[in-house]
Amino acid sequence: MTDDTETPDGLAAEYVLGTLSADERAQAEALIRDDPAFARLVRGWERRLGELNVMVQPVEPPAGIWERIQARIGDARPIAAAHPDQVAPAAPERNVVLLSARLGRWRRAAAGLAALAAVLVALVATQLFNPAVLPGALRPKPVDIANAPVNPGRFVAVLQQNAASPAFILTVDVATRTASVRRVAAEQPAGKSYELWLVSDRFPGPRSLGLVGTTEFARPALANYDPATISGATYAVSLEPEGGSPTGAPTGPVLFAGKLVESVPP
Amino acid sequence: MLSAQELVWLMAAVAKGDRTAFERLYAATRAKLYGVVLRILRRQDLADEVMQETYLKIWNSAGQFDPALASPITWMVAIARNRAIDLVRKKTEVSIEEESDVVEFAADTPDPLAKREMTEELERLLACMAKLDEERRRLVLFAYYHGWSREQLAARFETPVNTIKTWLRRALRDIRECLDA
Repeated sequence: MTDDTETPDGLAAEYVLGTLSADERAQAEALIRDDPAFARLVRGWERRLGELNVMVQPVEPPAGIWERIQARIGDARPIAAAHPDQVAPAAPERNVVLLSARLGRWRRAAAGLAALAAVLVALVATQLFNPAVLPGALRPKPVDIANAPVNPGRFVAVLQQNAASPAFILTVDVATRTASVRRVAAEQPAGKSYELWLVSDRFPGPRSLGLVGTTEFARPALANYDPATISGATYAVSLEPEGGSPTGAPTGPVLFAGKLVESVPP
Repeated sequence: MLSAQELVWLMAAVAKGDRTAFERLYAATRAKLYGVVLRILRRQDLADEVMQETYLKIWNSAGQFDPALASPITWMVAIARNRAIDLVRKKTEVSIEEESDVVEFAADTPDPLAKREMTEELERLLACMAKLDEERRRLVLFAYYHGWSREQLAARFETPVNTIKTWLRRALRDIRECLDA
């Protein structure tokens, strides 16, 4: 295979991605120190790929690390107030503010949604998703964090009528069986409710996952479904009388539907 | 997690040696950084060590942080990932795998779904990654999230290491061309 990728930018990209060997990394680090142009390439890649950190689930580190950091900084003035363990839990009201800020940003980003929809459509189109095969085949062999409940694969579905009009974004954490629905563009019709359904060939009919509220986030329960069902199902939103379908099955038109695709591997 | 703007402000204070600001920065970012390094290192003792080194480096280099070039969390995550990957590359894979020290997670970690922050930058990146072949996209994601080397990827994807390298480079080049378009 001809190699047209043996470029400084290719090296910088792989350095940031993390796939270089120890020797190559040492080489790249020397270049970063000595070659400002190469250092700029690396910063560019850190910016491009760095956004992926958003998808990483936070894990609370063990207590004691902060004390060791302080000790290593040396000469520590004792900081009487504001131990970090007391700072963090004080955040709920801030979270509310942040959440609305994010939602505001989400709305402002509506222009970018066509692009996002394109991703998700492309993901749906290209992914022959076989949940029975997928995680095992690619699951890393050593200490199997993939099986730990707090480190699951993350899935996302766009529920839409067509590629140009994403209506809801559904994110699902298969391991914890939680789901979030984010309303993107769907209007709330007066006197009606949107209801979310799970459609699987394992069941004779759609199963209701609850109403999609007027707020941006809803938490329909997936606790009754196994991971293979959750990841293989189609998710659909129908328009129902206010308060939801009176019959337990969709009575109104199914306006939006989509399947889950993987966004973070286990 | 504080907003990016609040983190920028904290970072500026840290650059001036403000220890209270540093403590707040630690409180706001420790779980994200720990999640990142634990995924790569898979061992709590190594993750603890990398956390210490990372925050020492942040303390010492905060003055070099430039908000025009990166968000604070992106900058901090890059430092943490580099430390973690340097460490994991210097250890042989065997010594990592034979270690039976099972990673313990705190059960009370915040729900990531509610806290997820879908930035416009991330949307663009995902849109570009969506254009890659399925297998190449998975390659890039596995490399990023697990810190795997080409050799490890070659083993997991059952593909020769030279092919892995070519796929990675082309995937990254395609991502860049798409983002720059």
